[in-house]
Amino acid sequence: MSIIKVTNLQKYFKVAKHQRGLWGSLRSLITREYEPVRAVDGISFEIQPGELIGYLGPNGAGKSTTIKILTGLLVPSGGEVLVNGYVPWRERRRYVARIGAVFGQRTTLWWDLPVIESLDLLKHIYQIPAEQYRRNLAEFRELLQLDAFLNTPVRSLSLGQRMRADICAALLHNPDLLFLDEPTIGLDVVAKERIRQFIRHINQERGTTVILTTHDLSDVAKLCRRVMIIDRGQLLFDGRLGALQHRFGGRRELVVDLADDYPHAGVDGARIAHRDGQRVTYQFEPGHITASELIGRISARYRILDLAVREPDIEATIRRIYEERLLEKTGPMLGSNGYR
Amino acid sequence: MHLFWAITQRSFQRHLTYRAATVAGLVTNLFFGLLRAAVLIALYNARPEVAGITVQEAITYTGLTQAIITYISIFGWYDLMQSVYDGDVAVDLLKPMNYFAFWLAQDVGRAVINLLLRGLTIMLIYALIFNLTWPTAPVQWLALVSALALALLVSFAWRFLVNLAAFWTPNARGIGRFAFGITWVLSGFYMPLRYFPDWFVTLCQLTPFPAMVNTVVEIYLGLLTGPALLHALLQQVLWLAILIIAGHLVLRAGLQRLVIQGG
Ligand SMILES: Nc1ncnc2c1ncn2[C@@H]1O[C@H](COP(=O)(O)OP(=O)(O)O)[C@@H](O)[C@H]1O
Ligand SMILES: [Mg+2]
Repeated sequence: MSIIKVTNLQKYFKVAKHQRGLWGSLRSLITREYEPVRAVDGISFEIQPGELIGYLGPNGAGKSTTIKILTGLLVPSGGEVLVNGYVPWRERRRYVARIGAVFGQRTTLWWDLPVIESLDLLKHIYQIPAEQYRRNLAEFRELLQLDAFLNTPVRSLSLGQRMRADICAALLHNPDLLFLDEPTIGLDVVAKERIRQFIRHINQERGTTVILTTHDLSDVAKLCRRVMIIDRGQLLFDGRLGALQHRFGGRRELVVDLADDYPHAGVDGARIAHRDGQRVTYQFEPGHITASELIGRISARYRILDLAVREPDIEATIRRIYEERLLEKTGPMLGSNGYR
Repeated sequence: MHLFWAITQRSFQRHLTYRAATVAGLVTNLFFGLLRAAVLIALYNARPEVAGITVQEAITYTGLTQAIITYISIFGWYDLMQSVYDGDVAVDLLKPMNYFAFWLAQDVGRAVINLLLRGLTIMLIYALIFNLTWPTAPVQWLALVSALALALLVSFAWRFLVNLAAFWTPNARGIGRFAFGITWVLSGFYMPLRYFPDWFVTLCQLTPFPAMVNTVVEIYLGLLTGPALLHALLQQVLWLAILIIAGHLVLRAGLQRLVIQGG
């Protein structure tokens, strides 16, 4: 049984068209023309309990809009959504009692009050049993290192501290699902890493299903086995990161330390991307030649001291997909990995 | 109920932190109160009473209305509207609680702290300057407390409803200013309603506005007794029920078309 089932989801926003000039602005007082923005344009997917999904896409792709629909905040323009047995926007109160959500740019905490006051209030809001609240708070305090600022008013927290407090707030009631919209936005590397570790911990130890949107590719590369890539409201890819890399990653690299300063180190089937004395970096297309074949060819001509195969950088891969719109040409790559 | 008080307490705590604003507001309310009192004294021009209200009662009226300005947010309240516009409404809707009760609980905290810090202070300072009227009978005190509480609830339910306009238009502030301007006049805040012609008072009684100010004033001054007093309290309850139902219906429609700004 999937915990989330989304079928042909659509959300259009009406945006008032700007009329040019004086005549235009006078006209717009009387009749306004609207232009539909297709924020989410026919998306379908299913998610199984316990998955940790990366929902990836450039700015304006439709990630937040999808999350707002999944959390019951927005009513979609079309399509069907069933999460945890609920249609989110129909039975909002009952539904949200079983989910947690963090929107990176907002806080659920009371701005002027110490963090702990807001957390205590959640105990009442979600009717969390005292024992569960105590245990969860103790665990999260340690894992997220909240102690230093538990009694500080939220407005005085750093962004990273606030985010940690917000993530704690979203989990005190043991939700079945956790939605995170850009949880690492604006954070430094250390703060990002701490939050990623915590998300992994919650997913693995508690089996909480996590959906995480981001435009930071390193979040996804480090956390998620399955990614969904959305752009312009459409799902372009849904599958394992490895499959994406395999298909679009383009060239792999073989770094070889040669035993001698060969003046010419070329081989058929690969090009030299970089050379630094005896260290040569070959680039090759995985479709044309395998790593072992290439190693065979090199070692037939030159003496090799050491070597390493380097996978293409996921960031570079996905950036290439966005920029060259590779997936649009080939059509969506759904179900390539048995997720459907 | 537990949750309601937990929220009220925190709102109370939060508004306690705005001390500078409280003092500034207090001084302003007091200044305008004295101004209003001076104008009324001049208008009375040694007449013993106007429309059944003595000059002493008129002065008390200005003190009392100034004292409850912030308690019932007579000059307007835009917090909910603002949370819709900046998208913070999202985090409130993500919590499994009644949206109306959530805002009401916060408003009660805000109102009570303002009644204690600003309202009481204004009445005390007034009492030092003027010879004021005070409720005497215990029944009158009881009625006053009930009317005050109901006035807050009615006023809140009205402000809630007005703020919901933000679900429909990006310019609900204008609607708010208009709606709260009407409240100001028709509630009896601007002038005691008894000063107005009968037809106007009758008209006012068809609206929820007198239930926010005028009822409190007339009970305080002892102008309402017996069946009239009971009738006024019942009217408050009736308007409260109507406004709460209207608020919930409008909220339900609004949530269908909510657009949440920003990530
Ligand atoms: N409230 C709104 N009104 C009009 N357009 C919106 C609104 N919210 C989002 N959009 C538009 O929908 C598209 C998707 O936005 P969003 O879901 O926020 O993207 P992402 O989170 O991936 O950056 C964008 O083009 C955005 O401008
Ligand atoms: Mg976003």
